[in-house]
Amino acid sequence: MVHCKALFKLLLVAVVSAGLVLGVSPGTTLAQEKVIKIGTIFPLTGPVALAGQRCKAAVETAAEIINNKYPNIKVPLANQEGILGGYKIVLVHTDSQGKPDVGKAEAERLINQEGVWGLIGSYNSSVSMPASMVAERAKKIFMCGASSSAALTQRDLKFFFRTASTDEVESHEFVEVLKWLNKTQKKANLKTLGIIYENSVFGKHAAEEAKKAAAKGGFNVVADVPFNPGATNLDSEVQTLKSKNPDALFGAVLGADYSLMVKTMKKMNWTPKASLNYCSGYQDPVIAKQLGDDANYFMGSTGYSPQFADIMPAVAEVEKIFKTKTGGVPYDSDSIQETIALFVLAQAIEKAKSLDPEVVAKTLYANTWPSPLSLAGKVAFAPGGQNKLALSIITQLQGGEYKRVFPKEKANTKVIFPMKPWDKR
Amino acid sequence: MDTLVQVLLDGMLNGMLYALVALGLCLIWGVMDVINFAHGEYVMVAMYVSYWLGFLAKVDPLISIFAGGAFIFILGALTYKLIIHYTVGKPPLSALLATFGLAMLLKNLCLNRFTPNFRILSDTWLGDRTFQLGFLIVPVPQLVTAVLALLVIGLIFYMIRSTRFGWAVQATAMDKEAAELMGINTERIYILVFGIGGATVGIAGGIMPTYLAVHPEVGTMFGLIAFICVAMGGFGSIPGTLMAAILVGVVEALSGYYIAPVFKYVAVFGLYLAVVFLRPKGIFGW
Repeated sequence: MVHCKALFKLLLVAVVSAGLVLGVSPGTTLAQEKVIKIGTIFPLTGPVALAGQRCKAAVETAAEIINNKYPNIKVPLANQEGILGGYKIVLVHTDSQGKPDVGKAEAERLINQEGVWGLIGSYNSSVSMPASMVAERAKKIFMCGASSSAALTQRDLKFFFRTASTDEVESHEFVEVLKWLNKTQKKANLKTLGIIYENSVFGKHAAEEAKKAAAKGGFNVVADVPFNPGATNLDSEVQTLKSKNPDALFGAVLGADYSLMVKTMKKMNWTPKASLNYCSGYQDPVIAKQLGDDANYFMGSTGYSPQFADIMPAVAEVEKIFKTKTGGVPYDSDSIQETIALFVLAQAIEKAKSLDPEVVAKTLYANTWPSPLSLAGKVAFAPGGQNKLALSIITQLQGGEYKRVFPKEKANTKVIFPMKPWDKR
Repeated sequence: MDTLVQVLLDGMLNGMLYALVALGLCLIWGVMDVINFAHGEYVMVAMYVSYWLGFLAKVDPLISIFAGGAFIFILGALTYKLIIHYTVGKPPLSALLATFGLAMLLKNLCLNRFTPNFRILSDTWLGDRTFQLGFLIVPVPQLVTAVLALLVIGLIFYMIRSTRFGWAVQATAMDKEAAELMGINTERIYILVFGIGGATVGIAGGIMPTYLAVHPEVGTMFGLIAFICVAMGGFGSIPGTLMAAILVGVVEALSGYYIAPVFKYVAVFGLYLAVVFLRPKGIFGW
C-alpha cells in the first residue's frame, strides 16, 4: 500500500512536470479549441460602476450571439456558430475602476500576460485614452463603444475604432436644437448658455466642444461650471448656475452626480428654459426611473432607448439576452454601443479571413458594416477610427419616457418648452 | 448680499451633516487612538439599511435612523471585537491597515450584493421640501439633519462630560493602565466606544437617503471629510470637530461659489494643511 502511494505521488509529479515543460496550460488548451481572446476594460467598481457593469453585459451578449446560433435574431453572424469556421470569442474581463492608470495597467496585463487578441472598452474617455495607446503600441485592435471624447479619434491611431457619436457631433446637434427652439417656439429667445461638467477628460472635452459650437452658433456662454465627480453636494455648482441664470444648460454629468444635480436644482428652485445632456446620467433608464417626475423635461442625445423599438426592431431579441445579464435592465445609449463594437469587429474578422490585426484593421476601414443595432443601421470608419455614420436623436423625458423630439423627421412627440418650473409640476 | 447669506446657510447645513458623520470617528480616534478607515463605509452601510427599510417596508428614513444607528452600533462593536482587539499593543499601522481591509470588504460586499445601482428613496416624509424665509430658500431635509446633528452631538458631549460612563471613557483615553487599576473594564469601554461611534454615523447614514442616492461608493468622500474635521478640530475634541465641520462646510460653499466650484475641495484640503501646519494637534487639541 505504501508503495502504491509513493508510486502515485511519483506519477503525479511526473505528469505535472511534463505539463510544465511542454507548456500545457488552460491557455494552450483554449488555443487548440480555436478561440479569439478579447479583453474588456470597464469600470466595474467605482462611481460609474453601474454603467461599466452594463457595458460588460453588452459585450457578453454580443459574444453569446456570435458563438452560438440564434436564427430568430436579425443581426449579422447570429445565424452561424462562431466565426472563421468555428472560432469562438472568449472574453477576459478587467476592472478599470474608472481610473486611467488602472485601465492602462489592465491593458498591459491583458496583452502581455493574458495574451488577448484585441481589446474592448473603456466607457470613460479618460481610461480609453491611455489603454488604447497601449493597444496601439502592441498592434492590437481596440474597439471603443461608448467613450465620447472627440479627442480619441483625433490621434490618427491605426488600431483604434469607435462606434458611438462624439461630443463634438453632439455639441453641434445641441446648438442646432437651440436654434430650432428659437425658430419654432414662441418667445424662446435663447441667447445664453451654461455648461456643467465633471472635471475629467470626458467632461472637459465635452465643455470645450460645447463652447466651440456655441460660439459658432452665436450663443454666449455665461456659466462654465466644472465639478469634482463623486462630490458630497453640488450646492455651489447649482448656485453658480442660478446666479448666472443661462437660458439653456448643457450637462456632461455622469451617474449619481446627475441625480444629485437634478435634486439640487430642485432644492434651489431653478430651471433653465432648456437642458441638454451628453451621454450621461440622463440616458440611464434606472436613474430616470428613480428620479421619477423630477427627471422630466430634461433633454439629451440618445442612441437607443426601449422607446425606439419602432425604428430599431432588431434590438428586441438581442435585448432579451442582455436583460438576462442585467436583472431586467434594458440597453441604454452607451451599453448598446459595446454590443455593436464587438459585432462589427467579428464581421471584420470574418470578412478578412485572417487573425492578423493589420489585415483586420484595413478591412474595418475598407467596408461599410451592416449594424441593425445602430440608429443609422450601418457603421463605417473615417481615418482615425471614428464611425462616420454615428447618429443620435434628441429626446426629452416626458412622463418617464424618452420621447423623440428632434430632428423633426424622427420625432414622435412635441417638445415641452420651456422646462416646467419645479413649483408648477 | 442675498446670495452670500444663502451660500453661508447651505455651507453651514452641509457642515452640520459633516459634523454628525465625523462625531463617531472623533470618539474612536480620541479614546482609542485608532484611525478607522472604514468610517465612510459605515455611512454607506447605514444608508443601505435605511434605503432597504424604506423600499421594502416603507419605513421613512426619519424612523430608520434608529435602525441605522443600532445596526452600525453592532457593526462597530463587532469591528472592535473581531479586528481592532487583535491590533491593540501592536504598531498603529496594523489597526489602520486592518480597518482599510474592512472598508474594502464592506464596499465590495455591498457592490456584490446590491450591484452598483444608484438607489433613490422617493416619497419620504421630508422629500425635497423647502420653505422660503425672506429671500432664503431653506431645504427641510438638510435643516432636520442639522437639528439631529446638534441633538446627537449634545447628547454625546453630555454623556462624555457628565456621566460615570463618560468619566470612565475619559480615564481610559488618558491612561489605559491607570484606568484599569481604578477598576474600569477598559475592554468594555473600547467595545462601547466603537459601538457608540458607529451608532452616531449610523444615524447620519440613516437620514441621508432622503436627499442622496445610495450606492457602494457614496461613503468615500464623507469618510475623507470626516478625517479632516477630526484632525482639524483636535483629536478627541467633540466641540473641535463640530467647529471644524462647520468651517469645512462654509469654506467649501464660499470657495465653490466665489472662486470656482472645482476649487472647493482644494480650499478645504488647503485649509486642513494650513491648520495642521500651524497647530498640529488641531484647533481644540491638547
